[in-house]
Parts: sequence; structure tokens; C-alpha cells
Amino acid sequence: MTDLILQALFSGVLIGGVYALVALGLALSFGAMRIINLAHGELVLLAAYCAYLVETRTGLDPYAAIPLALLVVAGVSAVLFLMIDRIRQDRELNSLILTYAVGIILTNAILLAFASDVRSTASPTLQDAVTLGSVYAMTGEIIAFGLSLVLMVALWWWLKRSWYGRAVRAVSSNRAAATLMGISPGRTELVAFLVAGALASFAGVALYTMSVIQPALGHALTVKAFVITVLAGVGSIPGVFLGALLLGVTEALTVTLASSALQDLAGMVLFLVVLFLLPNGLFGARARRG
Amino acid sequence: MLRKAVAATAMTLALVGGALVASLPARAEEVLVGAHMPLTGSLGRSGQAFEAGMRTAIKIFNDASPRTKIRLQVIDDESTPAAAVSAVEKLVSEKAVAVIGGYGSNIIGPASDAASKLGTVYITAGAVSDELTARGLKTFFRINNNAGYQRGMAGLVESVKPAAVSIIASTKEAPILLARGLEKDLSAKGIRVTVHAFDPAITDFKPLINKVKLQDRSEILIMSAYENDYVGIIRAAKVLKPPLKLVLGAWSLATPKMYQEFPDLMNNVVGTSFLPFPVEMKDQEGRRFAEVFKQLYNKDIEYLATLSFVETTILAEAIGRAAEAGTLSTGGLAEEMRRTDRKTLIGPVRFDATGDNPLFSLSMGQHQDGKVVLVAPPAAATGSLAYPALPW
Repeated sequence: MTDLILQALFSGVLIGGVYALVALGLALSFGAMRIINLAHGELVLLAAYCAYLVETRTGLDPYAAIPLALLVVAGVSAVLFLMIDRIRQDRELNSLILTYAVGIILTNAILLAFASDVRSTASPTLQDAVTLGSVYAMTGEIIAFGLSLVLMVALWWWLKRSWYGRAVRAVSSNRAAATLMGISPGRTELVAFLVAGALASFAGVALYTMSVIQPALGHALTVKAFVITVLAGVGSIPGVFLGALLLGVTEALTVTLASSALQDLAGMVLFLVVLFLLPNGLFGARARRG
Repeated sequence: MLRKAVAATAMTLALVGGALVASLPARAEEVLVGAHMPLTGSLGRSGQAFEAGMRTAIKIFNDASPRTKIRLQVIDDESTPAAAVSAVEKLVSEKAVAVIGGYGSNIIGPASDAASKLGTVYITAGAVSDELTARGLKTFFRINNNAGYQRGMAGLVESVKPAAVSIIASTKEAPILLARGLEKDLSAKGIRVTVHAFDPAITDFKPLINKVKLQDRSEILIMSAYENDYVGIIRAAKVLKPPLKLVLGAWSLATPKMYQEFPDLMNNVVGTSFLPFPVEMKDQEGRRFAEVFKQLYNKDIEYLATLSFVETTILAEAIGRAAEAGTLSTGGLAEEMRRTDRKTLIGPVRFDATGDNPLFSLSMGQHQDGKVVLVAPPAAATGSLAYPALPW
């Protein structure tokens, strides 16, 4: 039983790391701009298909696709932002509808371009088993977890220390005051959207190396990312990481101790319990009290 | 004089024209057949494979039928029941004489209900739930069912006499129904069976496989799921290496496409199948199917395409007979469907009073170094089962 629980905890932490990677981009656009980008999952998926394309066409490692994924996803993100920027009334609500529509368009574009077959990496190195004592993982999962950790720290640093990061937070707090301080809200938000796109690119490539992708996956990724963002508390980057780990571990323990059929239900129950007890999310509440 | 000459010329022309018209072949009757398929959405891959089989069947039928030509209209049901119902209503309003159903019992159920209310024949090869035939609809027909998959898989498992079997099953309707049926069948034979149902949203199967490894200690792992799940399950098993002897799955697993996409995961894995690969067609119908399929799509025949080819061929033949008898517009098609009794690429097809095919049974195919070898039942086998044999 101990081995079972240890494996569940380890698998939960690793899958939580990937959830965090997928959620970071959404958390940035939601936290900084109050835009719930419902096409975020599709942007992640677009990057995953870039990895598939590079691996199958060139035989290179899927991680070699990161420059291509950055280019493609940042391009689509920029177009998406320019569309959102044209919204003059009820931006939060209308951007929700707009990004939902873009998500559907992207899903079908991916379906047309790549067909509906399931795809995943063929790299034996990424699929190799790694043993740590009595627990196992795939090399791809360990790399994705490490990447998630690095990107979380990098994003936190960027928001806290860089000029653009501070500008994003200023625009998020008070748009008018930020403008008076010489910050261009439009340009700042565009940069934030591009950074969110870059995070989606890394997430997509990592996802391809350790899981299975297909065109219909985007929506499920968006839902998972949204749950984590709200669970963490809007605007908290370390909160996203910890919230994702908590979700991953809860799901894995549910599979091990109860039934795998209850995995998603357990995640949703956790989400509702946290929101009931801490309406601003795990870290949003602490920030408010502080 | 002139008037007589004009009259004679006109009469001659009329006679010659009449003779020419009479000598022309009779214009073929065009009949519309509708289909709703999940061309997009979560079942998009299945829908596209089905469409390829249908179009091949229609081409072969039209090429061979001088009197009746079928026009196929396919509507994308987006893998959702609501879109499937509206597709059926639209197709019937456009005078489709029959509707070919898509994929998934939860979609086929309401769609075939709608067709029944409109008095239109509905045939499917993509829904195995027992509830569909229990409704007793007079216009509903299907060529495959859960019992056939269950027979095929249970037969192979029993033949290797394992002490314990683990079944990992998606909670979707068809996979869980198959898992429960197998559990009942195999338990009755004295085999210890453990079923692990999983939510379709699951992506990491390691905690589940670890239960198979540390708790179940089974010799055979049965997967009652879909393609993306198979990949996740086998990949997790490859990492954790439970002490299994065989990995076995249901539909869409023993296909050349799965081997092409995931060669490192598929070797020695067993799944349900109709045909070996490379395809060996033993009869004229099979050879023609392979030839036209290649000509239209330039790819290997898929499992789902074979199913839809058979259902469409049976429907087309019934339409031809009803048109010949002049009963197509007076409800004769359902009667002609009930008269179906023929050998097909998936075995014999006959419909009982509920519209089900009681003769449906499947072979089991094993991936063996890029080939799909039929290993059970013995009558259909093209090779022997590699056992114990795993993908890792």
C-alpha cells in the first residue's frame, strides 16, 4: 500500500507540474488583463502540433520545435489580442465570447490540417522509464516538470522585477493611473498576451512529449487551466503552481485509494470546497488579508 | 405537293426520333441516402473512417446498378446528439429514403429515435449498446453489437487459461458495457477479474497500472477504451512493467494505422479485427472493396471503414430490391432490410426482430512486427498467438 501511495503522490506531483505549465499563460492573461482566454487550450494544442510536425518531418527531438511553436503561437496570440483590443464595450464578457469562437476555429483548423488521429512523441529517450527508489516516471514527465518550475520562476521574476512586468501589474491595478505614469496600456497588454502565448508554446511542446494529443483536446485543457487559475487565486503565479500540484495529487490519490472513475469529480469537489472556504482562491485570500 | 413532302418528312423524323428514344437505356432512378457522421469533435477520426467506407460502398453499388443510383449526403453531427437529431430531420425532409448512423451509442440512440418517428430506415455500425435494440424500433438495424465483441475477446482469453485478468475500462457507455460483460463471462469460467473504470478525461494511467501491478497481479490486461486511452495505458505499463503476459484491447487497436503511429507500443498487442494486415481478401467482394478503396483514398483499409462498407452495401442492396419491386416509397425498404441474409466481409449478417445481427462475431488480431495476424478463433486464424508476449 505504501508503494501505491508513494507512486500516486509522485505521479500527482508530476502531472500537477504539467497542469501548472498549461495554466500559467491563462493565469497571466486573466490576472493581468481580466481576459479569460478561452482559446488558451487551443494555443497549447497548436504548439503541440508544431512539435509533432518538427518531429515527424525532421526527425529532431520535439523540444527542437520550441522556436517554431513560439513563432506560430505568438503570431496567433497577437492577432487574437488585436481582435480583443477592438472591443469597446463590456470587454470582459465580449472577450470571453470572442476567444471561445477563436478556440472553435483553431480546433477545426487543426482538424483540417492534421486530421483527427491521436499523436504522441515517438522519441524513445523521452519515453524511457526513470526510477527513483520505488517510484517510476517517464523522462518526458521529469523534463516537463522541470520546465514548469523554471517557467514559473521566470514568470514571477518578470512580473516582479522587469519594467514590462511592473507595467502589466500597473495596468491591471489601475489602467488610468498607469496611463498617467507614461505606460501605454495597449502595448503593455500586447506584451502580456505574447508572453502568455510563449508560455502556451512551452506547455504544448511539453504536453506532446509526455501525453497524447488530438484536435478535440484544446477545450479540456482550457477548462483545467481555468480551474487551476481560480483555485490558485487570480494573479498569484506561485499559487498557480501549488494549486496545480494540489489538483494533480488529489486526482492521483483518488485513482489509487478510490476509483479512477472519480478522478475528475474529486478535482471538481476540491475546486468547489476551496472556493466555498476561500472565495478568492488559495492565494488570493492571503493576498487580500495581507 | 410541298405540303405532302413536309408532312412525309415530319412523319419520318417523328418515327426515327421515336425509335431512337425507345432504343436509349431507361434513365436510372436516383435515390437519396443520408448519413450523419462525427466528422469533427471528439469522434472525428471515427467519423472520417466511416465516411470512407460508405463512399466506397456507394461507388461500387452505383457502378454495378443500372436501374438505381444512390446519392449520398453526409452531414457532420459534430460528435453531439443534438446535431445528429437535427441532421436526421434535415435529411428526411430532403427525401432521404434511409439514414446511416454515426458513432457512439449516446448519439445513435436519439438520432435513430428521430428516424423512427419519421418512419425512415436507420442503420448503424457504430453503436453496440444493448438498450438500442431493446427499444423494438421497426426501422432500426445494426450489423454489430456488444455480444460479438464480448464473444471474440472472451474466447481468446479463455484459450490461454489465465488465473487473473485486469480490465481497464472507460466509463463511456460502450466500453463499460463490454467490460461488465467480460467480467461476467470470465468470472463464470473461474478466472479472477478486476475491473478498473476510468473517467475519459484521465491522462496519466500510472496510478491505475500500479494497482494492476501491485494489487491485481494479473496475467492479462484488457483495455476496453479508445485509441488515445490505449496509448496512455500501454505507455504507463511500459514504464511500470507489471508482470503481465498479454495486453488485449477492443476496437480500433489491431489496425495498421496504430502500428504506424506507435510502433514501440503496439507489438504483440491484441485487438478485435476482421481482416489481417497486409489485407488478404478471399472473395470477389473483398477484392473489389480493396481496389476501389485504394483508388479513392490511396491508403490501407481501416477497421471502421470495413464496418461502414458492409452496412452501406447491405442498405444499398435493400434499396435496389425495393426500387425494383416498386415499394421504396411505400415502406418496402424496412421489409427488404429484414430479408437480408448474406455473408459479408465481417461474417454473416441477418437481422432479428429487434434489428440486431445475432450472427455478429469477431476475430482477434495481434500486432506482430508490423503485421496484423488473426490469432482467434481457430477457424479464422492466419497465424498463431505469441504468448506470453508484451510490447516491452
